[in-house]
Amino acid sequence: MISFSAECATLTALLLTTFPPFLAFLVTMVLTRSRPILSAKLSIGAVSLSLACSIFLLVLRWGQPEPVQFSFRLLASSGVDVPFGFLVDPLSVLMLVIVAAISFLVQVYSLGYMAGDPGFSRYYSFMSLFAWAMLSMTVSLSILQLYIFWELVGLASYLLIGFWYEKFSASQAGKKAFVMTRTGDVAFFLGILTVLLNLGNLSIPEMNGPAAGGMPQSILTLSAILIFGGIIGKSAQFPLLTWLPDAMEGPTPVSALLHSATMVAAGVYLFARLFPFFSLSPTAMSFFLGIGTISMLLASTMAIVSRDIKRVWAYSTISQLGLMIMALGAGGYFAGVFHLTTHAGFKALLFLCSGVMIHQYQTNDIYELSRLGCSRMKVPILTITLAAAALSGLPPLSGFFSKEAVLGELAGLSNPVWLCAGLAGVFLTAYYSFRVIFILFSPPPDAKPVDIDAGSQHPDHGDTHHEAHYRFMAVPLIILAAVTVALGYVGEPLRAFLTGGGTLGGVHEEGFALSHLVALGLAAGGMILAWLEFGRPGAKQIGIVERIPPLNRLFAERWYIDHFYRKIVDVLVDRGIAYLCWKNDNKVIDGTIDGMGKGTVESGRLMASLQSGMIQYRMLAIFAVMVFLSLYFLFQQI
Amino acid sequence: MHLEPANFPYLSAILFSCVAGLLAIVFIPAENKILIKRVSASFSGMTLVLSLILFVAYDRGLGGLQFVENIPWIPSLGIHYFNAVDGFSLPNLLLTGIVFFTGVLTMWEMETRVKEYHALYFLLVTGVFGLFMSMDLFFIFVWYDVSLFPMYLLIAVWGTTRKEYGAMKLTLYLLAGSALILPAVVLLYVRSGLNTFGIVPLMQAGLFTPGEQKLAFLLLFLGFGILAGVWPFHTWSPVGHVAAPHGVSMVHAGVLMKIGAFGVLRVAIMLCPLGWIYWAKLMAVLAAIGIIYGAFVGLRQTDLKYVIGYSSVSHMGIVGLGLSTVTAEGLNGAVFQMFAHGIMTALLFSSVGYIYDRTHTKAIPELGGLSRIMPVASTYFIVAALAGIGVPGLANFWGELVVFIAAFKTYPPLGVIAVLALAVTALFMLRVVQKTFYGPRNEQFAQLPDVTFAQGVPRMILAAVLLVFGLCPALLFDVIQTASVPFMSGLPR
Repeated sequence: MISFSAECATLTALLLTTFPPFLAFLVTMVLTRSRPILSAKLSIGAVSLSLACSIFLLVLRWGQPEPVQFSFRLLASSGVDVPFGFLVDPLSVLMLVIVAAISFLVQVYSLGYMAGDPGFSRYYSFMSLFAWAMLSMTVSLSILQLYIFWELVGLASYLLIGFWYEKFSASQAGKKAFVMTRTGDVAFFLGILTVLLNLGNLSIPEMNGPAAGGMPQSILTLSAILIFGGIIGKSAQFPLLTWLPDAMEGPTPVSALLHSATMVAAGVYLFARLFPFFSLSPTAMSFFLGIGTISMLLASTMAIVSRDIKRVWAYSTISQLGLMIMALGAGGYFAGVFHLTTHAGFKALLFLCSGVMIHQYQTNDIYELSRLGCSRMKVPILTITLAAAALSGLPPLSGFFSKEAVLGELAGLSNPVWLCAGLAGVFLTAYYSFRVIFILFSPPPDAKPVDIDAGSQHPDHGDTHHEAHYRFMAVPLIILAAVTVALGYVGEPLRAFLTGGGTLGGVHEEGFALSHLVALGLAAGGMILAWLEFGRPGAKQIGIVERIPPLNRLFAERWYIDHFYRKIVDVLVDRGIAYLCWKNDNKVIDGTIDGMGKGTVESGRLMASLQSGMIQYRMLAIFAVMVFLSLYFLFQQI
Repeated sequence: MHLEPANFPYLSAILFSCVAGLLAIVFIPAENKILIKRVSASFSGMTLVLSLILFVAYDRGLGGLQFVENIPWIPSLGIHYFNAVDGFSLPNLLLTGIVFFTGVLTMWEMETRVKEYHALYFLLVTGVFGLFMSMDLFFIFVWYDVSLFPMYLLIAVWGTTRKEYGAMKLTLYLLAGSALILPAVVLLYVRSGLNTFGIVPLMQAGLFTPGEQKLAFLLLFLGFGILAGVWPFHTWSPVGHVAAPHGVSMVHAGVLMKIGAFGVLRVAIMLCPLGWIYWAKLMAVLAAIGIIYGAFVGLRQTDLKYVIGYSSVSHMGIVGLGLSTVTAEGLNGAVFQMFAHGIMTALLFSSVGYIYDRTHTKAIPELGGLSRIMPVASTYFIVAALAGIGVPGLANFWGELVVFIAAFKTYPPLGVIAVLALAVTALFMLRVVQKTFYGPRNEQFAQLPDVTFAQGVPRMILAAVLLVFGLCPALLFDVIQTASVPFMSGLPR
């Protein structure tokens, strides 16, 4: 009886977590388009219900590692069963809370950030669409169901990146994001089909269960790598990483929610979700490890030279996602998920702080922000520094603990290359994070700070509206900052919860202390280098890379990856295959058909000329036929 | 096959509504345009209601042929007026009802030769309805030609771009198709020795030799396939789509192309299953080429309607691929895709119709920034485009999903190619959306009004249908299954 009621409560909480945002989406899309404030209230109300229920679920499921399933019949076409339902286990509950919490904070923040935008209602309905899709994706029972919501999350991302569609760059970026992630999803879909064909079942517990071990190793590797294609697209890993920096064209709260904390982490989540399945193929795992490493290092180098504050954080997101994938690829289930959790907090904080500054000064350029005097905005500048320190992995912040866990996993691998790459990443991360912070803190001597009328600074100046906006934006910052400080200390309970005290993410004790001392030293080194170049009084604020022009160009042009894609789309697709098909349609196929038409008309004309009605011609024809026939019979006789 | 007689002749009632509407329009004076439109809307609405009743009342547990009306017409030749619905035709009847009604509403504002337009439009749809419900080869052939004939006039008189060329091309192609179908029908009639055109008696196993089946199937597949836009016989369709007036484009792409696919299913596949198995690989290859080729040609187009036209070639390829898998899943997916694609294209053409009527252009480079000026009209188009890309939550996703799964099982390489086309389709559809609707507000069109609530009704219906079947695909799959599963299990292997 007790277990029944617990199950009942779980199911109710699940439904109340996932569905309210969907209803909010429909209502705000169709009915309340012209009433922005009501739309925002509905949307925030729905997401706060989701948050409350997801926290309730976490409490309810705490200490119960065994998964619970609920399944419904959505579609049973003969041979194609799509099991639909919920899978509740520690991982999905944790992710639910992360997604709901960040969604809630960002939606509250957006009240201030998006105030007065003509598309306010539309903004909130897309936000609800995202929340629905992402929450439902998290608790999907089957991989196909996950794929469906995965695509919907991609749709929400497309709509939100291109939210300010009047700007060409925004609509371009939205399209690019959709097409690039879709390219990865094609591989993902093929991977699902491969699994379906060989395992006959798409339910996630089945895939992670012993049955999958019966698949041939080559098929396992193939399907794992194909599914990983989706992760590459969604988490912007090498080689599909260039859409994410462009996605920064969207409103900053969107970047915070989708393109750093939650949606792009969906790729890592999928990895964790299928971790036992992927682990069956060592080949695939080392492939993932390699992809994660390349992405982490490449993106870090790009972050070093970017002047756009949002893009720096975007590159950093790619790099941190790469680090999570490295951790998972190295077999560190807990390390990867833990870093995902802490990263969601401090990266959202970084974006939201930057958002306040961008909102205030209407520029993304770090030098410009510094010149205009952004360091005088107390709450944002303090919290952004805190978040950057967490990102760099400085104690006692959350990032320190999760990076420690990741590096511990890398140190446990037999090949030291991975650990070295991880440590290089630590150095680069500290360097680019503090580069931004020091630039923001040290305006050039000729700077002319603009008066800020934000509430907390000059309560008497600002009009009440602006003050209210600022407050909406400041509260989430403070909450996230508190989370960033506190989250590191729940590591051990979280490990017990996630792994159920089991063997999923083994702790690698050897090399533990040493690698961490080195890591701390490197992080400090990165910080000091940044201070010497950008922070110390009288610094020229020119980075070491900027002194080497070819390298600078290479990094600024993102290793020319985008040029390569442009060429492919332009030359191969547009002017190549598409052109050939189009010409073939016009000239060959239609040419043949039109030729047949012309041929018919022409032969008709030829025949018609025989029917001219002139008696001479008829006589001539009769005569010719007679001659022909007599000759024919004559020769036949002989 | 189970036969369930009708207690009320719903099917004849649908045909009767069409004919009565046609006659009523003929007898209304041409000057009274508003009355003509009202009559047209009410009779087409009646067919929609009747087809909805059928859809709801069809007994899914029982399956088989239901609402059967069987009246001998020319007994000496074995021609029967034999109407019935099964799981294959029911979705198509519903589709026709929806597209017919919304098509009338879409053309509400057209003022040229209203009477003649609506009369011909009714005649066209009568043929379509007749074909979907008939279980007699003779009638199928007649209905096919009934639906062909008005198309020529509708395009040539009310059309736009290169309309005479488009109309002529379409008519010649479709007549070529009917020239291939006729000998096959005669072959089947003569060779059966049963002196009947009825599909049910002709479906008995072992009636035709494998050789006859192969020959008849090829003729029927090519004949009906032309109408379904099978590559490389597809070029009439984009040209025709572009030239036709919007309401006719809706029926044309939404329903007429489905007649082709349905003909392949109802006549070719059901009567010549051995021929089907024999030619399935050819069908699959042509379909896969169509899917990817249509998407690539779509990339090059600069006219809104041409883009939709080529997307139809690509999407109808998915139907063809489903039919070619020789599995129940494949048939399910194909029929679902027919329905979903019909609604989606109708919505696209309906939206383009609104935009063209206001801006007087459908050249993509001249448009742009429409989202700011007519947000609601743009939303409808974007919803349809997203459905075309295969975004989950809208009906098309399920059709594509099931077809791809079936194709991947039967023809792995072709399945991979077809899935790859998903990325290309996304690219060209989103490009169109970006170039037409996004970007800075276009001052040239700044004064144009957005869709009012009343004008939005047809698009609202279509978008709602996409959403409903996108969220509850089982509504439709359950119906289709009642036909596909028994048929496949009865197949000679």
